Amino acid sequence: MKAKRVFAGFLAAAMALSMAACGTKGTDDTSKKPDDKTAGSENELTVWCWDPAFNIYAMEQAAEVYKKDHPDFKLNVVETPWADIQTKLTTAATSDDLESLPDIMLMQDNAFQKNVISYPDAFKDLGEAGIDFSQFAEAKTAYSVIDGKNYGVPFDNGTVVAAYRTDILKEAGYTVDDFKDITWDEYIEKGKDVLKKTGKPLLSCQSGESDVIMMMLQSAGASLFDDEGKPSMKDNDALKKVMETYSELVKSGVLVEVNDWDQYVGSLTGSTVAGTINGCWILASIQTAEDQKGNWAVTNMPSLTSLEGATNYSNNGGSSWAVTANCKNTDLAYDFLKSTFAGSVELYETILPKSGALATYIPAGESKVYAEPQEFFGGQTIYKDITDFAAKTPSNNTGVYYYEARDAVATAIQNVVAGEDIDSAIQTAQETVEFAMGE
Amino acid sequence: MTKGKKIAAYTFLTIVSFISVFPLYWMISAATNKSVDVTRGRLIPGAELINNFKNLLAQYDVGTAMLNSFKYALILTILSLLICSLAGYGFEIYHDKIKDGVMSVILLAMMVPFAATMIPLYQLFSKVGLLNCTAGFILPTLSTPFLIMMFRQSARSFPHDIIEAARMDGLNEFQIFFKMFLPTMRSTYAAAMTITFMNAWNNYLWPKVIMTSKTSITMPMLVANLKEGYVTDYGMLMLAVFLCTIPTAIVFFLLQKSFADGITGAVK
Repeated sequence: MKAKRVFAGFLAAAMALSMAACGTKGTDDTSKKPDDKTAGSENELTVWCWDPAFNIYAMEQAAEVYKKDHPDFKLNVVETPWADIQTKLTTAATSDDLESLPDIMLMQDNAFQKNVISYPDAFKDLGEAGIDFSQFAEAKTAYSVIDGKNYGVPFDNGTVVAAYRTDILKEAGYTVDDFKDITWDEYIEKGKDVLKKTGKPLLSCQSGESDVIMMMLQSAGASLFDDEGKPSMKDNDALKKVMETYSELVKSGVLVEVNDWDQYVGSLTGSTVAGTINGCWILASIQTAEDQKGNWAVTNMPSLTSLEGATNYSNNGGSSWAVTANCKNTDLAYDFLKSTFAGSVELYETILPKSGALATYIPAGESKVYAEPQEFFGGQTIYKDITDFAAKTPSNNTGVYYYEARDAVATAIQNVVAGEDIDSAIQTAQETVEFAMGE
Repeated sequence: MTKGKKIAAYTFLTIVSFISVFPLYWMISAATNKSVDVTRGRLIPGAELINNFKNLLAQYDVGTAMLNSFKYALILTILSLLICSLAGYGFEIYHDKIKDGVMSVILLAMMVPFAATMIPLYQLFSKVGLLNCTAGFILPTLSTPFLIMMFRQSARSFPHDIIEAARMDGLNEFQIFFKMFLPTMRSTYAAAMTITFMNAWNNYLWPKVIMTSKTSITMPMLVANLKEGYVTDYGMLMLAVFLCTIPTAIVFFLLQKSFADGITGAVK
């Protein structure tokens, strides 16, 4: 009998230990919750975003700007990686319990339409927030507009830049101006020449990823879906042209495919390639190689040869702020976003030098800070140039199944590079997406 | 073995051990280098360890994450070992047809992937108010079919004569478990402890879903945060990965001998 009591005591102690650990946290939470809903709700906003050097920094600076007129304002940033935001959002929305969501979350532009269409009850329509969306580049706001309603305040810029190593180009007898406003055909010609003279390819990218394909496609104003959201890969002239160009790039050796992201960054910092084409956020990684200072320059990307609507401008990545339906104090959230990310040139001027966070807020592009020459890029006014590119970028149709389509296209291009016929590869991609959509 | 064969064998083993140890070496050496040097593939250790450490501590709350991970993993390991060993012992020593049936149902549960039960579990935990706390972390994996099966198998090799003798001497069933079974099965416990601690420490998906506040973050979640931005500081990342590896490595090395014994069977 004694052993039984001893055992019961042991078990109870162990249980108590775990509950006590929970208890302290629990009471913490309960003591915090009333805070959130009474005193806190008046002045505090909880925000999910993910990069301490970039969007978290921007959010904190925005809070500083807002505090000038609202000294009681409190910001609570919870660092949450994007993949986690997506998981938490999916879990919360599918289980009909939005309680765990923050007031504001940062969302990748590519996933914006998918999430709002799939979980319409999880987000607030920003129509009544009084934000002037015409102050943003149209291609940018298009990502967060669903059925004519705005659900996101645009944040960072994913405008595509073509960055080149001027020292390597010089070795081959070129300057960066030779790569401005060119077509992909000219790019391949010059690329072959650079490769022959310096042994370095012009471009590297991750194999099995469709970033380059998607950038090319958007530069011609084309998408993988039609206006009704149906996959439109088959008989899509632009996609076919893109596939041909890509496979030509790989075959000529002008584009070298690497295995993963880390290797891609390594090819830039390690001087194994003469340039890259990506969203302008890649410039931050390039600038970690301090010894390459002055050897980089930025221009626009090549356009698709002989294709109607082809431009030298595109977009890759970028994100926007969304207000969730769990936000208890929407007036505060609206006013905060309106007076910072959608209304403060000063904010964008503050965050640009340290974080390189380029605005899509058009008035910011005209500020002095944006026109400052950047030493790393040989004194070029890259921020002003990129803001100009942004205004010329055609918009892209993402929809609910954007990521599925991207993956299908990535598979297709791998098969094309391996020798499959383009039409049949596109046909397979179209069927894969249709299957995923249940059609 | 002839001398020539021996040389060949040792050469082969040296190469293989080099290949398996290399990632570990690279993790440590990268933690002492600047990010840009890591991307350039520098293999020799650098002098940036202190800087990486300073940056990591300045940007992330490593202390809280470490403490949380330890707390969750230790509590889970202790409770889980107790519950599963009792269950495994019971299933084997007092087995009858019905208990065997129940055991097969438990084993079937092993086939259900966690991702499939995640959303209903989250709903349940959120309703009961167990988000952001230790109980929320440990409850779903408190008793695992694998551990129960492991203890059941090792209880099979526990001689029934000992139990009979103990009963004769007047010990009751719980005393038999704690005084006879538990000390004999030390190596099985060590193996189970290693596995449970490692799983708890490395658990990522579930804490990611239920731990929404900054103060309840775990080490694997912190490491994941490091790779999220547009720019990755590889030196800092490797340092964090290294810090995250140390505890499981220590547990494994301490219990290594018993672990091997426990896997092969406790009673010889």
